[in-house]
Amino acid sequence: MKKFIPVALGALVVLSSALYTLADIPRPPKPSPTPAAGKPVLHTELTIVPDPKGSEARLQIAPSDLKILREALASVDSNPTTWERLSQSSTRTIIAGAFLFLSISLAGVWLARSDRRRSRIAAAVVFGVALVGAASMIANANAGPPGTYLWRGLPQALTEGKSTNGGLDIEIMPEGYGMKLIVPSRDFKKPDHQEE
Amino acid sequence: MERTANLGLVQWQRSRVQTRRSVGSFALLLVVGVLLSATLATSIPLQFSIVTLFLFAGPHNWFELRYFLMRLPLRFGRSRNFFLTAFTGIALLTIAYLSLPLLYYAGVWTGHNWPTAIATWNTLLLLWLGLLISLRGKQGRRNWTWCWPVVFALSSLNWLGPELFSLALVYAHPLVALWFLDRHLRRNRPEWLQSYRRCLLMLPLIVAAMCWRLLGSQSLADDNGLAWRITQHAGADLLPQLSTHLLVTVHVFLETLHYGVWLLALPLIASRGSIWKVKSIPLARHARGFPRLIGATLIGGLFVVALLWLGFSTNYAVTRDVYFAVAIAHVLAEAPFLLRML
Repeated sequence: MKKFIPVALGALVVLSSALYTLADIPRPPKPSPTPAAGKPVLHTELTIVPDPKGSEARLQIAPSDLKILREALASVDSNPTTWERLSQSSTRTIIAGAFLFLSISLAGVWLARSDRRRSRIAAAVVFGVALVGAASMIANANAGPPGTYLWRGLPQALTEGKSTNGGLDIEIMPEGYGMKLIVPSRDFKKPDHQEE
Repeated sequence: MERTANLGLVQWQRSRVQTRRSVGSFALLLVVGVLLSATLATSIPLQFSIVTLFLFAGPHNWFELRYFLMRLPLRFGRSRNFFLTAFTGIALLTIAYLSLPLLYYAGVWTGHNWPTAIATWNTLLLLWLGLLISLRGKQGRRNWTWCWPVVFALSSLNWLGPELFSLALVYAHPLVALWFLDRHLRRNRPEWLQSYRRCLLMLPLIVAAMCWRLLGSQSLADDNGLAWRITQHAGADLLPQLSTHLLVTVHVFLETLHYGVWLLALPLIASRGSIWKVKSIPLARHARGFPRLIGATLIGGLFVVALLWLGFSTNYAVTRDVYFAVAIAHVLAEAPFLLRML
C-alpha cells in the first residue's frame, strides 16, 4: 500500500497532464454529415502577394474595411469557450511553471536523500510528471517553426486545390482599399513534377 | 485424546466454512450492489441522480459525522498539531469556498477571475493536504516527504486548468470512501479484504463499459434548471466533447458507491454497538468525555437531515446548490481521518 500511494498519485498526474499536451494541436474534426456553415460578416477584396523577403504571412487591412470589420466583429458572440479560457492565461502558466520548478527541485532533494529503491521509483514517477508538465507548458507557449516553414507548401497546395495552414499577422494600414495577404515565399517548395 | 483432536478439527472446519460463506455473501452483495447502481445510472441517470441525492445525501453526512466522532480521541496528545492543522484547514477552506459564490451573488465580486480564485483555493487545499501528510508521517516516524513534490506537481497542473482540476476532485471524492472501507476491512474483517479488492477491479471495467456504450450517445436534455445543474456538476461545460449522458452516469454511479459505503458497509463493519447509542462513542463513554455535547450534536445532525429533506421537497434545485456548497466541509474532513487510518 505504501508503494501504491505515490505510484497511483503519479499515474493520476501523468494522465491528467496528458490533456495539456494537446494544447496547440488542433483536435481532430468531429465527423459531421452536415458541417455548420460560416456566417459572412464582411465582403471585400483580397490580394495574395508572394514576399520573398518576409518571414511571416501578413494580412493588411485598409482603414475603410477596418471600420466595417469592427462593426461586424462587435455583432459576433465573442464569449470564449471554457476550453479556450482554460488555455489562455499567461499568469496561470507562469504560476504553474513555478510550482513545477518547486516540484522538480524537491523531488531532486528527496531523491538525493533517499537510498531506498521504492523511493527512487516514486521519484522517477514525479520526474516523469515534471517532464510531461514542462512539455505541456512548451506546447501552451506557442513554440513552433518559423512562418516561412509553414507556408512553404502553399504553391503546391494551390495547384492541388488543398488548404495550407500557417501563422498570420493582421496589420491595419493607414490607407488603401480592401485586404492584402502577403505570404512569405522565401522557402516555397517547388511542385513535385518540377523537382524531378 | 484423539476425540478431543477431532472436535478441534471439526470446529476449525465449521469456522472455515462459515468464513467462506460470509466472504461469499459479502462479495455477492458487493457485485449485485455495484451492478445494480451501474444499470440504474446508465439507464436513468438524471432521475437516479435526483432520487439518490434526495434519499442519501443527508443521512450519509450524518453517518460520516458519527464516524468522525467515533474516531476522535478524547485527548489529542501527540496528535495535537495534526488535529489543530486539520480543523483549522477545514474551517478556513470551507469559509473560503463558501465565500466565493456569496461574494459573487452579493455583487461584491464580478467573478471575472473565477479560474484564478479556484486555482488559489485548490492550491491551498493541496498545501493543507501536504502539511497533514507530512505531520502524520512524522507521528508514525515514516518518511512521507515524497508528498511535497507530488503536491507541487499537482498544484502546477491545477494552475494550468483549475476548473478541470476541481472537476477531477468531484470525481475522485467518492473513491475516498472505498479507501476508508479498505482500511476498515483490513482491521476488522481481514478475511473479506481479498474479495473486496478483487471486486474493486470491476470498477474500471464498469466505467470503461459505460464509456464504450455512452461515448457517442446523445447528450441528456438539460432544458430545465435542475437537469442543467446536474449536467454542469458532472462537467458538461468543461468537457463539451463528451456526452452529458456519459458524464452524469459515471458521476452518479460513483456517488452511489460513496453513499453505499457510508450508509451500509462502514456501519456494518466498523460499528461497535447500536448506532443510536451515544455511549458507543468513546468521546461520550469516557469519564472525562462529553456525552451531552455528542448527543446534542447527533440530534442536531438529524434535524439538519430532516431540514435537507424538507428543502429538497420544497425547492430541489436551490437546495441541491446549497448542499453541494456546504458539503465541501465533509469532503475536507475525510482527509485527516483517512490519514489517521494509514
